[in-house]
Amino acid sequence: MPNIIACFKWVIDEAYIRAGSSGELDMRSVNYKLSDYDRNAIEEAARIKEEHGGTVIALTVGIPGGTKGLKDALSRGPDKACFISDPSFENLEPSQTAAILADVIGRKLDYDLIICGEGSSDLYARQVGPRLAETLGIPCISFVQKLTIDGNRIIAERKVEEGIEVTAAPMPALVTVVPDINNPRIPGVKDTLTASKKEVITITKDDLSSAYEPTLRTVSMTAASMERNCVKFTAEPSDITAFIEALAKEGVLR
Amino acid sequence: MAGVWIFAENLQQTAELLSIGSDLASKLMTTTSAFLIGNTDSADDCIAFGADEIMELPALAGDQPLDAYIPVIVAEAQTADPDVFLIAATVRGKDIAARLAARLKTGLCSDCIGVTFDEGNNVLEMDRLAYGGAAIQKVACMTRPVMATIPPGTYKPAPQQSGRQGTIRELQAPQPSPSTVLERRPKETQVKDITESRIVVCAGRGIERKEDLSLVQELATALGGEIGCTRPISEEAHWLPEELCIGLSGISVKPDLYIGLGVSGQVQHVTGIRDAKVICAVNKDENAPLFGAADYGIVGDLYDVVPKLIEAVKKAKA
Ligand SMILES: Cc1cc2nc3c(=O)[nH]c(=O)nc-3n(C[C@H](O)[C@H](O)[C@H](O)COP(=O)(O)OP(=O)(O)OC[C@H]3O[C@@H](n4cnc5c(N)ncnc54)[C@H](O)[C@@H]3O)c2cc1C
Ligand SMILES: Nc1ncnc2c1ncn2[C@@H]1O[C@H](COP(=O)(O)O)[C@@H](O)[C@H]1O
Repeated sequence: MPNIIACFKWVIDEAYIRAGSSGELDMRSVNYKLSDYDRNAIEEAARIKEEHGGTVIALTVGIPGGTKGLKDALSRGPDKACFISDPSFENLEPSQTAAILADVIGRKLDYDLIICGEGSSDLYARQVGPRLAETLGIPCISFVQKLTIDGNRIIAERKVEEGIEVTAAPMPALVTVVPDINNPRIPGVKDTLTASKKEVITITKDDLSSAYEPTLRTVSMTAASMERNCVKFTAEPSDITAFIEALAKEGVLR
Repeated sequence: MAGVWIFAENLQQTAELLSIGSDLASKLMTTTSAFLIGNTDSADDCIAFGADEIMELPALAGDQPLDAYIPVIVAEAQTADPDVFLIAATVRGKDIAARLAARLKTGLCSDCIGVTFDEGNNVLEMDRLAYGGAAIQKVACMTRPVMATIPPGTYKPAPQQSGRQGTIRELQAPQPSPSTVLERRPKETQVKDITESRIVVCAGRGIERKEDLSLVQELATALGGEIGCTRPISEEAHWLPEELCIGLSGISVKPDLYIGLGVSGQVQHVTGIRDAKVICAVNKDENAPLFGAADYGIVGDLYDVVPKLIEAVKKAKA
């Protein structure tokens, strides 16, 4: 019966980000969401628990404001959550995130399997999972599209350029999952209600054994703008003709 | 010791990284070293591409994953203390880079798409995409070595120069690793590369059935172009191969003409078509974000619009 940790991140929903007039990011009307592929990570943990028993802990590091994310994560099946939070954890870079997670996992949590998303929706660095495994000194299989528990080991189908690499590793181990691995459930009202009754272990900066300074500095973050004509036509025959004429004029019909 | 180090899975990728690597090495007034995997005879080629030193990694046993090399590379890096370490951003490369960075306790710029050297401050500034491609993040690494993964195709291969000299050094064989590869299943089919296509017609989730892809293909054929798709079509429906998925986690295209059919235009997809000359959208939702990223849009049902477009294109070309 494996003890599983599913790592998730509560992120800014990029669909709400606008480009400011001087190329800066306009974050005034942003919303937050559970990082897309972490839904697959949590779902996979819940699925394995349904099949093999055990426990699932959802683990995240972030700012104290991220409590909504805990509820969202818990409504997707985990037994409890662990929230490592501090106001200074706003823009952690991957090495810090991995170090903080490793510190807490190594000293406070029992685990056989850690599941991370392939990459976070905001940074998409695809670093935290492999870094975490390396820091804990456990095997890592990344970009997994199918996962099976086979006694004391995991067997993972890993998606690489040339095809599939079926890899086995003894537990404890860490995997990062790609979105094709499963279809994350959509939590219902009941799931949301149960979620608010589940245990949340809160860990603060003072409970960590080090300060974990960044190794990567963000020099700037600018909007990737795209200036386009934005001319709209209807499906009426005259508009279709006008559309084709526009393309011909651009010289792209040959 | 110091230097610019390069690790890639094949000679083509190594040559690409040597292009930017040699450039950085000359600015940093240092040398380049490239790892070569297995018993290859490409060391001389690699030196011609600009490597000053070749570090040969002995071939792996059949069931060893590529990451078995990690301890060997870490040991070398701890002795030689490189300035910069560039790794090709393949699936395995990304994994290995992150794990090496953790062992070497240094920063890593993932999917670096551009590097500039700020000579005044002696720092490398590296560009990458963030927020699904909505933003460009410029980062600097504050620890040694400065690490980056660079997507294959970002740089042109370095030109071969004859008569270059270099040293070749064989490294120790890796120990057995805890994970073992049980099976390797190659992809069945070879897919046409559309990254250089002049016209790309993209199938989105607005396509209802797999059979309806013939409609998309018909328009592509009429225009003399190729077909591409969004992630849900390749990864969720598996109607088209992943090599045709355009966007952040797929390929980037730069055609003269891109037409998205039933494509909403989420930023992760639009990122892959930024360099298209003309972008068109057909969508029944007038508020679809792709209209905001398109030069010309048609608001309508693609099942009504596309047959009309095919007719009109044929007529215009006749
Ligand atoms: C980290 C990350 C990486 C990603 N990478 C990629 C990537 O590389 N490439 C990619 O494509 N996506 C990627 N995505 C997914 C991306 O966010 C979107 O979900 C995806 O691009 C949506 O595809 P779509 O437009 O085909 O589908 P949808 O968003 O479902 O849009 C379908 C559109 O079709 C329209 N439509 C429906 N029926 C009709 C009709 N009959 N006629 C006309 N219009 C119709 C609808 O109005 C709608 O706008 C990524 C996501 C994440 C989180
Ligand atoms: N702040 C965080 N808290 C917990 N897990 C995280 C956090 N950031 C990233 N992760 C995990 O690491 C994965 C990869 O993130 P990244 O390296 O940022 O692309 C995510 O899918 C999560 O599973």
